[in-house]
Amino acid sequence: MSGGLPKALPSTGPHSLRDMPHPLAGSSSEEAVGGDSTPSPDLLTARSFGDKDLILPNGGTPAGTSSPASSSSLLNRLQLDDDIDGETRDLFVTVDDPKKHVCTMETYITYRITTKSTRVEFDLPEYSVRRRYQDFDWLRSKLEESQPTHLIPPLPEKFVVKGVVDRFSEEFVETRRKALDKFLKRITDHPVLSFNEHFNVFLTAKDLNAYKKQGMALLSRVGESVKHVTGGYKLRSRPLEFAAIGEYLDTFALKLGTIDRIAQRIIKEEIEYLVELREYGPVYSTWSALEGELAEPLEGVSACIGNCSTALEELTDDMTEDFLPVLREYILYSDSMKSVLKKRDQVQAEYEAKLEAVALRKEDRPKVPSDVEKCQDRMECFNADLKADMERWQNNKRQDFRQLLMGMADKNIQYYEKCLMAWESIIPLLQEKQEAK
Amino acid sequence: MEQAAPDLERPLQPAPLEPLGHPDAGPEAAVGEEAEGAPDEEGPGDRTMTENNFCLKKIEISVSEAEKRTGRNAMNMQETYTAYLVETRSVEHIDGPSVLTDSLWRRYSEFELLRNYLLVYYPHIVVPPLPEKRAEFVWHKLSADNMDPDFVERRRIGLENFLLRVASHPILCRDKIFYLFLTQEGNWKEIVNETGFQLKADSRLKALNATFRVKNPDKRFTELKHYSDELQSVISHLLRVRARVADRLYGVYKVHGNYGRVFSEWSAIEKEMGDGLQSAGHHMDVYASSIDDILEDEEHYADQLKEYLFYAEALRAVCRKHELMQYDLEMAAQDLASKKQQCEELATGTVRTFSLKGMTTKLFGQETPEQRESRIKVLEEQISEGEQQLKAKNLEGREFVKNAWADIERFKEQKNRDLKEALISYAVMQISMCKKGIQVWTNAKECFSKM
Repeated sequence: MSGGLPKALPSTGPHSLRDMPHPLAGSSSEEAVGGDSTPSPDLLTARSFGDKDLILPNGGTPAGTSSPASSSSLLNRLQLDDDIDGETRDLFVTVDDPKKHVCTMETYITYRITTKSTRVEFDLPEYSVRRRYQDFDWLRSKLEESQPTHLIPPLPEKFVVKGVVDRFSEEFVETRRKALDKFLKRITDHPVLSFNEHFNVFLTAKDLNAYKKQGMALLSRVGESVKHVTGGYKLRSRPLEFAAIGEYLDTFALKLGTIDRIAQRIIKEEIEYLVELREYGPVYSTWSALEGELAEPLEGVSACIGNCSTALEELTDDMTEDFLPVLREYILYSDSMKSVLKKRDQVQAEYEAKLEAVALRKEDRPKVPSDVEKCQDRMECFNADLKADMERWQNNKRQDFRQLLMGMADKNIQYYEKCLMAWESIIPLLQEKQEAK
Repeated sequence: MEQAAPDLERPLQPAPLEPLGHPDAGPEAAVGEEAEGAPDEEGPGDRTMTENNFCLKKIEISVSEAEKRTGRNAMNMQETYTAYLVETRSVEHIDGPSVLTDSLWRRYSEFELLRNYLLVYYPHIVVPPLPEKRAEFVWHKLSADNMDPDFVERRRIGLENFLLRVASHPILCRDKIFYLFLTQEGNWKEIVNETGFQLKADSRLKALNATFRVKNPDKRFTELKHYSDELQSVISHLLRVRARVADRLYGVYKVHGNYGRVFSEWSAIEKEMGDGLQSAGHHMDVYASSIDDILEDEEHYADQLKEYLFYAEALRAVCRKHELMQYDLEMAAQDLASKKQQCEELATGTVRTFSLKGMTTKLFGQETPEQRESRIKVLEEQISEGEQQLKAKNLEGREFVKNAWADIERFKEQKNRDLKEALISYAVMQISMCKKGIQVWTNAKECFSKM
């Protein structure tokens, strides 16, 4: 597992975000991870940055050398995201084959994770491991810790709060499997997160638990920096674009919450409608038994209503299994994004405070002390990472919702088509001239 | 079908009406249900012949308006009621223009009076029912209030349907009271009451008694009564559940309307997704509002079912009449048999049955031969009278069974036709609803695809 040669940010003093050139603007795109192009001269001096984690105030040693927080993220972005979709895709992950395990202490489900990759970070071209929800949860925490400037995709809900949902029912397990699959695919698609060491271990290790225990000691020093950014700094002014993102996420989550409630209500009403239909259809059957000439038509109507009932049940099942979980995921997503935004605010606040402290000291030092510089870099990297991730998130969100809502429309169309077919098929039966019985 | 035999018990039977027009030409139905004319029972079976024999005029009946009125009731208290405009038109030539011949206002209670009269004077006929007095089987949107405009409108249609049914019945259409109902506004109630039909009506107690005690009713009527009970029960159940189904369906559609608003609000914060969301929301609104018309159409289906729910009661009434007549017959036969026996005992001197006379004779001494002779004579007279009456009753009973069964067959055909039509129109409604649903969601899907 070789680390990339992270490219350091030019850092020539305090700059406002707006003055800084956009990391992607005019940078040499041939800078790939592990590439050997010559870095530009003024970066040479800052080279020493790259080997260490930029955001470590106490200068600890990173556990691994691959993708320390933000600097390599720059590099990876220079890869041009578009390459990842399509031909140069080099990592494929799938979640399938849920199995139930019954032990003395507990019963739980594991899922098979299949990985295929040509990346050098992977010793073998293919891996197949078994993981349970706990492991996914662990992975997510680790990613949040080690990649605090990035948006980490959400997991499906841990606990089943509502109703009498059976944790081991086929529908529940399938819904969860799909969500876990989505989770890993989102990470796979991310240019920085997909190179995360914990992610790699998750996909490949035979014994994850051992790694978890070992990792605990080492990791305690690492990646805590942003998580434990000394809080309590008050933010002067949030850059407009991040304020905008924050507001957007607020409204977005609100609207999704409303849609979730509406969808749930619809399903509830549909189920109650279904209950009545299931009583309605058979009454025609009962009536049919009394009649002579009308017996067949009435029986036909009864069967027809029965078919419509079945179609309706399929609709409500689909909506419950496919529609609602995705909505909820996005709500969770925007929640976790909000907390990343908060962290960014904290980083900026810390930087501003330190800067102010220096300015007040009125010493005629021409150079800005290194710790303030570090703060600035930290902030700027965070901002860059976040912006890039937001853009990626917006695109994915658009695709996801387009697909989700089209799916909803499709299910309803299919429901009506089934009913239409049922009713059209009994018209000839009803119109038939019956022999008197 | 045969003409009803004259009922011996009602000397005041009004003369059968000379038809204004061909009774089975069938008055134009203003309502969707076609009341097909039954074959004429008087003239030759061929329609064309009959048309030449009678006037070429056809009649059209409609209940065209409803109006709220206030007046004073029997206890001189002010009341509000609805009056319905009954219009009769005659058509000179087939497909020619119709001319308004009569127009008068009737309230529901007068329709009821007419029907009660018909029930008494035509007990062998399955008399068409009136629309319900109070709104039943409502689902939440419909008001159960008698003054509610939707209820009044549906009642108007129901009353019109009732008149059309009567007018197209080969026997009922000839009734004079019915004719006067259509043509004479004032004084009609008095004329009806003068027929004394209320007195002729069988008491409920008498009817109930007969039902329990009759020994040998015609099996077909017993079966028919059973059928009408079951029919009533199943249609009630159906209407109740249908109302609940309508309620739920309403809820499903209306909640979708909320999508319209939230999509609109959401689209405000989106760039590329905005337009697609907004226009999809509009389609959700269309979807939500489409349910109102759909359910209104379904009410018509419910009304068709209701008519047959009430028809079940009319069927039962005919069966009850048969049981009553049969019981009467059995009682008369029993009475005659006992009198004959008494007579025989007196004649032969053997006492086989207990009688008060026999008892007192034993206690207080034998009666004289003269006394005995006179008693035998009285009994013989009674027996002779009784035999005649029994014969008449028997004839009456058989006539009733024959005529009633003929009308029941007519009714069965009508019922099968009407209910089949109702089911077909219900299926058509469902098909239309499905097609609308497909259209709306297809439109929405297209909007989503543009997101």
